[in-house]
Amino acid sequence: MAETKLVHLKIDDRDVEVPAGTLVIEATRRLGIEVPSFCYYPGLTLQAACRMCLIEVEKAPKLQTACTQVVGEGMVVRTNTEQVRNARKFMLEFLLSNHPLDCPVCDKGGECELQDMVFRYGADTSRFVEEKIHRPEEKWSDLVYYDAPRCILCFRCVRVCDEGMDVKALGVGMRGAHSIIIPNREDHLECEECGMCIDICPVGALTSGTYRYKTRPWEMQYVSTICTHCSNGCKTTLSVRNHEILRANNRDLSGINKEFLCVKGRFGFDFTKHPERLKQPLLRKGGKLFPVSWEEAAQAAATKLKELHTAYGGEAIGFIGSNRASNEENYMLQRLARATFGTNNIDHHRTADYTGLVTALGERAADSSLTMEHLYQSNAVLVIGNDPSNQNPLVGWQIRAGIRHNGAKIFLVNSREIKLERKATQFVQVADGQEAAAVRWLATGEGQLAAGVSEKLAALKSALEAEPDVAIVFGSELTGKAIEDVVAFGLKLPGKVRYMALGDYANSRGAADMGVLPDRLPGYAYLDNRGVVESLAKHWGAQVPTKQGMTAPEMIDAAQTGRLKALYVVGANPFAHFGKSAAGRGNLGLLIVHELFLTETAQLADIVFPAASAYEKDGSVTNTAGEIQLLHKAAEVMGARSDFDLLRIVSHQLERAGLGKAFHFKTPAAVFEEIRKTVPGYNVESIGLLTGGAEPTKIEFSKNGHAPYDVPVQLIRPANDNLFTSGTLGRFCTMMQTLPEAEAKP
Amino acid sequence: MQLSPKLAAKFDKLQSSYPVKRSALIPMLMYGQDELGSVSDELIAEIARRLGLNNVQVEETLAYYSMLHRQPIGKHHVQVCTNVACMLRGGAELLEHAKKRLEIGHKEVTKDGVFSLEEVECIGACTGAPAIQVNYDFYENVTPLNLDRLIEDLDKGKRPEPQGVISGALHERAKQETPLISKRWGIKDSHKIDVALQHGAYQALDKALKQMTPESIIDEVKQSSLRGRGGAGFPTGLKWSFVPKDSPKPKYVICNADESEPGTCKDRPLMEMDPHQLIEGITIAGRAINAHSGFIYIRGEYRYVLDIVDAAIAEAYERGYLGKNILDSGFDFDLLIHTGAGAYECGEESALMESLEGKRGNPRIKPPFPAVVGLYGCPTIINNVETLCAVPAIILEGGLTYANRGTPKNGGTRLLCVSGSVNKPGIYEIPLGMNMKKFIDEMAGGMRNGKKLKAVIPGGSSCPVFRAEEIDIAMDYDTVAKAGSMLGSGGMVVIDEDTCMVDMARRIMHFYAHESCGWCIPCREGTSWLKKMLDRFHAGLGRPEDIDLIGELSMNMLGRTFCPLGDAAAMPTISIVQKFRNEFEDHLQGRCAYNKSAEALIGSR
Repeated sequence: MAETKLVHLKIDDRDVEVPAGTLVIEATRRLGIEVPSFCYYPGLTLQAACRMCLIEVEKAPKLQTACTQVVGEGMVVRTNTEQVRNARKFMLEFLLSNHPLDCPVCDKGGECELQDMVFRYGADTSRFVEEKIHRPEEKWSDLVYYDAPRCILCFRCVRVCDEGMDVKALGVGMRGAHSIIIPNREDHLECEECGMCIDICPVGALTSGTYRYKTRPWEMQYVSTICTHCSNGCKTTLSVRNHEILRANNRDLSGINKEFLCVKGRFGFDFTKHPERLKQPLLRKGGKLFPVSWEEAAQAAATKLKELHTAYGGEAIGFIGSNRASNEENYMLQRLARATFGTNNIDHHRTADYTGLVTALGERAADSSLTMEHLYQSNAVLVIGNDPSNQNPLVGWQIRAGIRHNGAKIFLVNSREIKLERKATQFVQVADGQEAAAVRWLATGEGQLAAGVSEKLAALKSALEAEPDVAIVFGSELTGKAIEDVVAFGLKLPGKVRYMALGDYANSRGAADMGVLPDRLPGYAYLDNRGVVESLAKHWGAQVPTKQGMTAPEMIDAAQTGRLKALYVVGANPFAHFGKSAAGRGNLGLLIVHELFLTETAQLADIVFPAASAYEKDGSVTNTAGEIQLLHKAAEVMGARSDFDLLRIVSHQLERAGLGKAFHFKTPAAVFEEIRKTVPGYNVESIGLLTGGAEPTKIEFSKNGHAPYDVPVQLIRPANDNLFTSGTLGRFCTMMQTLPEAEAKP
Repeated sequence: MQLSPKLAAKFDKLQSSYPVKRSALIPMLMYGQDELGSVSDELIAEIARRLGLNNVQVEETLAYYSMLHRQPIGKHHVQVCTNVACMLRGGAELLEHAKKRLEIGHKEVTKDGVFSLEEVECIGACTGAPAIQVNYDFYENVTPLNLDRLIEDLDKGKRPEPQGVISGALHERAKQETPLISKRWGIKDSHKIDVALQHGAYQALDKALKQMTPESIIDEVKQSSLRGRGGAGFPTGLKWSFVPKDSPKPKYVICNADESEPGTCKDRPLMEMDPHQLIEGITIAGRAINAHSGFIYIRGEYRYVLDIVDAAIAEAYERGYLGKNILDSGFDFDLLIHTGAGAYECGEESALMESLEGKRGNPRIKPPFPAVVGLYGCPTIINNVETLCAVPAIILEGGLTYANRGTPKNGGTRLLCVSGSVNKPGIYEIPLGMNMKKFIDEMAGGMRNGKKLKAVIPGGSSCPVFRAEEIDIAMDYDTVAKAGSMLGSGGMVVIDEDTCMVDMARRIMHFYAHESCGWCIPCREGTSWLKKMLDRFHAGLGRPEDIDLIGELSMNMLGRTFCPLGDAAAMPTISIVQKFRNEFEDHLQGRCAYNKSAEALIGSR
């Protein structure tokens, strides 16, 4: 990057040096000087509309707006003179003239930027005695309400909807003092319902349908955790009162997603208090599930597992891990399978071929992973398959932000026309299912493609060759061999290339990283990797099985044939995903399920443990980009326990029954300590995680002479979730499910 | 939706006329509304589809413009101007009369849907005040009696002949007048190209294209000391020289014909009687900055003028004064006329460009200035009609000769439209630097009905007012500025002793509150607050502290708004409070010395 020239200026008699082109308002912030503003919002276009940031610039004839004034060498700026203070005071006087001042009943009271500014800079009396303009409040959707009199017309909502979201559902109606914000469908909204407009509103003009009139901001606790829906790993700050989540947002801009959250991250928390939440262990007696005590359920599980293990051996017992449970829980589950039961029959519902990507990258894996920040900063982004704006909302947001802020170029290879196409430099449409063939052509020049496609791909290729760094993002359209191809193509590009595989669900990547796989150990190590096997054996105090286990679909099939006698499912719904619904549980002798709800799989179970959701526990998760972040317990649901707790309980019961060793981890953090030692790439700096950051994993991987990897057809099964669905969990997000937009989506 | 063949053809043409399709939005809404009576949901959807917009983009744009209606209006939409010039000649009384006659109020429609009524802001007929428009037809010097007749005729299905040419433009020339850009006014059919050619049109273009270089054209204009006639008075040649020569982007010339400064009606006759002079001036300007495309943005109310200019453009294309290889010089230039839809703010150059791009008329952040980043992000010069009309004369007679018509740094002649309480309201072309008092006394025929002069708004309602004793000054930009006001747009409004200055301040503030775009807080809230306060004050409900508060709120807007509209609202108000404080104090005693008793005023709110 070219070195930026530095400019010296004086602000309030203090010297400051900032890069040329910096706005004065940013320079003042660097000195910790507050210049108030409403319409200025970093990352969105400049407005200079609210006039709150007026400052004195020496030699300028009148006050200047700090949000549009670019720094100049030797510039002298004053932010706290009589004239400036008066300008602020009277600007607020103007602003309050038509404001209803209904702070006592306004949701925003206590966290309102207008309140704060009047408190700091405003006048102590009101001189306005005329009639105020009034309009009734409008309900734009179940989630978004608009109260025009409170609106200060900073246009943040309009800009974030257009520039940030590329939805353009909001506009400005009327003019002058009667100006209002208008929704796209006359009197209501039809949009992605992301709620960005609500969070970005500095006042109480846009309020949330799920939060309004529920509480006062100071009555809540705020817990930063990671969204439990898609695989992008957005930070969401849960506002909690009496153990109940009342709101989710990210107004402190603290996560990898900054202010971004989609409808799921912002409104998809109501499943936590869904009436169908399981709150007691269930045990099948006489063909029916009955609530039982924890002791009875846990003992039954251990006794039966031990019995089947003794009778049929570990080979007859299978484990399916969770792509929503934490890394710690998945790690414990695979350790239970391998160390206690001596089997590699462990897998999860795979939605992206992370194994394929790590294997294809080999030794390059550590420095070729594409973080969300890298994605934003890349000069060029190649998106193969998937529909990021719909399936991976943060990925979509980062790509759009890269275009807006850095002029990034976007190249798409897809069989469908997707929303990102509007912003794309080049869009290569391929025939249905031909993404892998296109990649093959890019890598090798081989293969038959529809007329005209290879010309377009050639143009795409030469455009990418000119870029200093390229982000390659692909969906489940590419697996196994095709990923080898995409990496081979990337290797030919002269620039720095980084890769991201797009999976579904909050911890798909973590489950794979933890070795919840029948053919790989933690960190994707091959089963015959002697070093890893020995190290694990030492940590676990047990033999590590080396025979490849069954995949999840194979386990479901084996359950039908009776080859599998027991199946232990943690936070997954394999009978819905892989099973033939009429077939039921087949010949399983035992089915144990940890679940939030009585899902299709749970209904078939012998023992169901009520599990806590991600919002009700501590731990860590890894997003699809390979970034580890911490979960923090926000809510409490009486009766449910975290999978961490459940696995601990079961392991103790097993030990008592004479099988394996109990887990002696006191907290998930203790499990993470073991993960740091046993999972290559997870030995990250904990300070980053503890301060709320995201730490990219640095997978150290060696092919060790293994044959090229491929993945069986149908093993990678995308959830094809859209903005309003979230696998099984989404069915219990009542608010989201009832939105008209959700019904309109296929 | 199914459009009539005529409208479909118009839409097809509009959407292919602009470099960026969205620019066709406002004209499409206007022409669509003309045919359908209002902007319906179907029309919005149709236009959105044709222009590749979503409907919120269409809706937010149309909501901005006062001439666009979502609800059907009457077949005859009667628009009564009550702004300053008309107010002084009985516009408000005319409106009251119309309300009674039609039995409807402001923005209401008669039950049969035949008539609707609207109180409108200055329609650019100040020298024919009081004036009204019925749809696009102008009727000037309207009395309650002939309003009744007009309504009767319309009701019978007749269309009374509208005003042919704006009143006051054609009059016997006084000997102090120096017709230069108005020289072809009054010649029969002067808007037609053959007549214009007979009287010297396009000679300057020929000279500019064949004997001059772009640089020498700019030099000539610089030498002429021509300054912008739209209001700000910026030196035209200097503005043109800011256009970067090495920019790879296309360059544009825009003619600002959004004449709407209250009291101003000079661009209208320039276009209706001599459109070819304007086309010639724009083309020369295009040559000077190496632009190949120009636009005339004309206010929506001036539809008949638009039609005249559009016909003239067609003639000019036909004769080779526009289009490819003009006069065999190798220079290409295209010109398109574009209608506004009712927004004073679009007279501000950057707001005009937003509007021309099919958006709400919000001004843009400056810098960058239009000469560098203008229309569609390209270098653009934008000049007032009168400014561009002066260009052919400058090219023909030479910059120096033109400059010498005026005073130093204030070159040339100027069209002054004088309205209000004078005997001969009209549009006069005079050399810059003429004495203001002399002009009013002599050329404008002195005070009407022998009344005493109280105040003068020298150049449109945005200017600080002068008291009677302050007007013995030369009318050029610098002298008027030194005296504390502005020559502005040349719209002089003369106010007599019978006028209540509180009422004047009130009416002026109504205008700015109506026209504030709403973008920035001080203008949006300040004008609205002041409007309400002045209403209350004038109605006799003022408090002693209000007088200072009016001045103070105006001061709090001044210099702090996003664009000059806030200043334009503040300046006259501040000057009226300062200079006529006694009249405000009179109102505190419960009386308005000039028109009505306090009780009557309260009742009239």
